[in-house]
Amino acid sequence: MLQLLPQAIVDGILIGGIYITVAIGFSLAYGVMHVIDFAVGEWIMLGAFMGFYLNRWLGLEPILLFPVIFLSFFVVGLWIQPLIHRVLSGRRGNPVLMGLVFTFGLALMIRGIALTVFGFYSHSIPSSLAQGSLFFQVGPIFVTIPLIRLTGLGYAVLVTMGLYYILHRTDFGLAVRALAQHKEAAGLMGVNARRTGGHVYGLYTGISATTGALIGCIFSISAQMGPDYTIFAFFVVVLAGMGYLPGVPWAAFLLGFVQSFFLIYLSPSYTMLAVFAALYLILLISPKGIFGKGV
Amino acid sequence: MKRVFTVGLCIFGMLLGPLFGLAYGDEGRNYFKVGVITSLSGDLATGGNVTKRGYDLWAQEVNRLGGIEIDGKKYPVKLVYADAQSEPSAGASAAERLATQEKVDFILGPYSSGVTLACAPVLEKYKIPMITGSAESPIIWKQKFRYTFGTIPPVNYTGSTPMKTLASLTPPPKTAIILGSNDAFSKATAEAFKASAEALGIKILKYDIVPQGQDLTPYMAVAKATRPDIIAFGGHDEELINLVKALRQINYTPKALLMHYGVTEPAFVEALGKDAEGVFGATVWTSTIPTHGEVLWPDAKSYAEAALKAFNVPADYTQAGSSAAGIAFQVALAQIKATPPLSPEEREALVEALEKINIRTFYGTVNFATEGQYYHANVGLTPLTVQIQNGHTAIVGPPEYAESPAIYPMKPWNQR
Repeated sequence: MLQLLPQAIVDGILIGGIYITVAIGFSLAYGVMHVIDFAVGEWIMLGAFMGFYLNRWLGLEPILLFPVIFLSFFVVGLWIQPLIHRVLSGRRGNPVLMGLVFTFGLALMIRGIALTVFGFYSHSIPSSLAQGSLFFQVGPIFVTIPLIRLTGLGYAVLVTMGLYYILHRTDFGLAVRALAQHKEAAGLMGVNARRTGGHVYGLYTGISATTGALIGCIFSISAQMGPDYTIFAFFVVVLAGMGYLPGVPWAAFLLGFVQSFFLIYLSPSYTMLAVFAALYLILLISPKGIFGKGV
Repeated sequence: MKRVFTVGLCIFGMLLGPLFGLAYGDEGRNYFKVGVITSLSGDLATGGNVTKRGYDLWAQEVNRLGGIEIDGKKYPVKLVYADAQSEPSAGASAAERLATQEKVDFILGPYSSGVTLACAPVLEKYKIPMITGSAESPIIWKQKFRYTFGTIPPVNYTGSTPMKTLASLTPPPKTAIILGSNDAFSKATAEAFKASAEALGIKILKYDIVPQGQDLTPYMAVAKATRPDIIAFGGHDEELINLVKALRQINYTPKALLMHYGVTEPAFVEALGKDAEGVFGATVWTSTIPTHGEVLWPDAKSYAEAALKAFNVPADYTQAGSSAAGIAFQVALAQIKATPPLSPEEREALVEALEKINIRTFYGTVNFATEGQYYHANVGLTPLTVQIQNGHTAIVGPPEYAESPAIYPMKPWNQR
């Protein structure tokens, strides 16, 4: 059984890579805007379909379409965020609850429109990277690394490092961190909450949509795919600590390892149960996520 | 205050609408009101919409011809839809609504076995006959629901045929990994594959039921070390596509890749392109099967042409089975000479007529079993093994139905 260990570790890391890309933008948006965006899965789905159609029309490798998809959804995010900002800064009722309702409604609306426009069939984004793998064998020990998943991990590392650079090395990042820490104080220091929030939401929708195109190369896509990814994004972010960005990669890898080890060593029937149990236990011990630094 | 008044007025209007509907109810109507429960949204929306096409096509054709002929007079059919949202609980609520509010005459049943299992007890309570055109889990028929029938035979009736076909190929497969997704239909499919493989002396290396939507790449990356000759999977369309993609990504080509539902859907080939080539599946109907229909369509070919014209998508066996469900009701109604709306006594007579039915349709023979483990499932059809060849489904077994020889072993992914 030990000869399967390298494969289990590699798979855990690769699954974790996908989870990072699904959750990191979501965590960033929560950290700044303090709203759980139930539409995260729908941004992923829309990005996947944009990748699917662009690939079909242009015949380009999906990874080359990432910048176009990112920019397109960055603009969409800029357009949507003022609506969320308006709901959150309203005087009536409970703004946080209204924010939840708004994003939930947005998710339902996007899903319904997508089902009408894209139809109910499943699709797949063809990629030359999804047609091969690296294979290493030393005696009885072997490891298979699918190239497309390795690309996904590379993309996750790139996004994480990019966000780290933006948040810690730029004035915009300073404003974002200030806004996440204390909205009113940041405003008094000259941070434009509305504009900064818009850019953050744009970054989040852009990253999520690009992730969708990546996911379309690895798995099938459909207009109904969103809720599954929303749940996983939520899992990772809760485990990392709500709004605590540095915790996201670790939480994603942890969930990846739980899934991979259960699939390989224990029973595949209970992988989702194991993921739920891990989340439950960790939150029982540390309600603010694995590092205790969430909101 | 003005706002409260406006909101109150809207709520009042919404509440009043259905009341008016009831007031102007449809008692004494001269058309058949047919409930359709299917999954128009949710994870199983693909199959749900395929069944809807089947039911729609039947209704369109019946109405084009003036309606169902009862004792010389024609009564049109009107379909009333209820979305089961791919959830058994939503399906049960939908059945309740169709029975109590819509007061339908009979029901064309849900997509997916799980939803059917949830709807059937509700319809037993209200004594409303239902024929499902898609549910395939044997658990449904073992419950012996009096008011539930199905035009597609259960997977334990059909699942052994593809294994027999594979076992007859050269060199005969010796080992298999069998998986099933954790839902009623998929589990039953995996069980049927396992039972028939064991009976044929094929060694099962691994057998697992996995959660729906599970990423199987890590599982397959390890499983490939055992080099199974057959990988057989019971699942739905999206999961089947994901499994082929996973095998493609780890670059492992088994000698045979066997699935059930989904392979015959055009979307499977469209999504996977050349990677779909050589995948085996099980079915009871293709557009090329020789059938002779006594009602509506004369054969499989003419049905396939009508379906293509109506929806611009080739029909698969689920769509055909759904249309055949409508035909079964139509024939049974004509036999008992029941006119709309059906009384409780006429619904009882309808059930009895369905139990006796034995008709030839474009889909094949519809003949519901009245006893045993297949109680009320259609046992008039011959299970077929199909394979994707040149982008189309070709029948490769049993030998008397084979249109072309099976491509075996599968061509490696990287040589396509």
